[in-house]
Amino acid sequence: MEKAVKLVAGILPLIFAFAFLVPVIDQSMQAFELGAPFGLSTLGFALLVGGSWGLVAQVGGRWI
Amino acid sequence: MNVQSADFPAVLKQLSERDLRKLENRIARKYSGKLPWIAVFWAFGNLAAWLSLWPLVLLGLLPLWAAFPIACVNMALVYLPTHEAQHDIIARPGTRLRWLNELVGHATSWMMVYPFEVLRVTHMDHHRNTNDPERDVDISSMAPGPWSAIWATIRNRQPNAKRNSDYASSLVRAGRLDLIVLSVAYKVAFIGILGALAWNGYALEALLLWWLPYQIAITYILFFLSWAPHHPGTHRLRYTNTRSWKSAVGNIGSMGMQFHIVHHLHPYIPLHLTPAAYREMRPIFEARGCRLGDN
Repeated sequence: MEKAVKLVAGILPLIFAFAFLVPVIDQSMQAFELGAPFGLSTLGFALLVGGSWGLVAQVGGRWI
Repeated sequence: MNVQSADFPAVLKQLSERDLRKLENRIARKYSGKLPWIAVFWAFGNLAAWLSLWPLVLLGLLPLWAAFPIACVNMALVYLPTHEAQHDIIARPGTRLRWLNELVGHATSWMMVYPFEVLRVTHMDHHRNTNDPERDVDISSMAPGPWSAIWATIRNRQPNAKRNSDYASSLVRAGRLDLIVLSVAYKVAFIGILGALAWNGYALEALLLWWLPYQIAITYILFFLSWAPHHPGTHRLRYTNTRSWKSAVGNIGSMGMQFHIVHHLHPYIPLHLTPAAYREMRPIFEARGCRLGDN
């Protein structure tokens, strides 16, 4: 149990990024009618930005 | 002795510690022991208001931009009723309405993604160890000025924040490892709910009704409940570890924390009665050399 809790607690930034941050970026872009660069879809762009940000938070221990 | 006498601080300074304590406790008793219904209505009214925002927004009856500031207010208001419950102010253990005290605590704290018992255990630790750099769970709120205090509240929410380990250490000291597990479960559930809403097309609703109001409210709450009353966070003694001060945003705007010194000395006095208790106790506080503002 303790191991499972530590595992989950240890990857919360990544979970947060893919569960919430990615769709927030995606739907915000759609709401503001912003196009994604490099021919990406808004979801693809959100996955790239949100996923990278989550990875940085996961490794560095801080979002900002 | 009449506590309303003139030249009170001068007279009081001549009293013994025991007599001062007796006088102070007599005033404190006057303001305690009554059920603060205002905290109960506050707790459930605020909860109902915030919950009602969801159907109103999802059914298109209220625009999201209008619901967002209301949600921020709801989130900012959620902590104080649970704080009353943490201190058993609504009903003490073994009394008839004890269930109401616990209900208020549990029904409100989840909005802030904290189990009620975690808030209670760690907050009691804060009271026992105020401004202790090793044991005060709120010590990481300390900062040299207001802007750095706001930044500290943001830093304290990062994954590697000292505050996280301070809270965990407090729960370990209390022998409540179960609450660490529960805290993680709450966080996972929070992300799960946000994620479920977001991946079903309601990301902005989840963002502006819960996540962002929660972040704004936590900043506000930590600023006024944790940083301001204990600033500069170096005084460790009972009568100086908390101060009174006159807030630029008034007593309501600062959530009654101008008189937080009364709460730390007599934590069983309901929040809405601390201003009156403060005014009556002020000469005693002056005699004791407390850190007092212009209020």
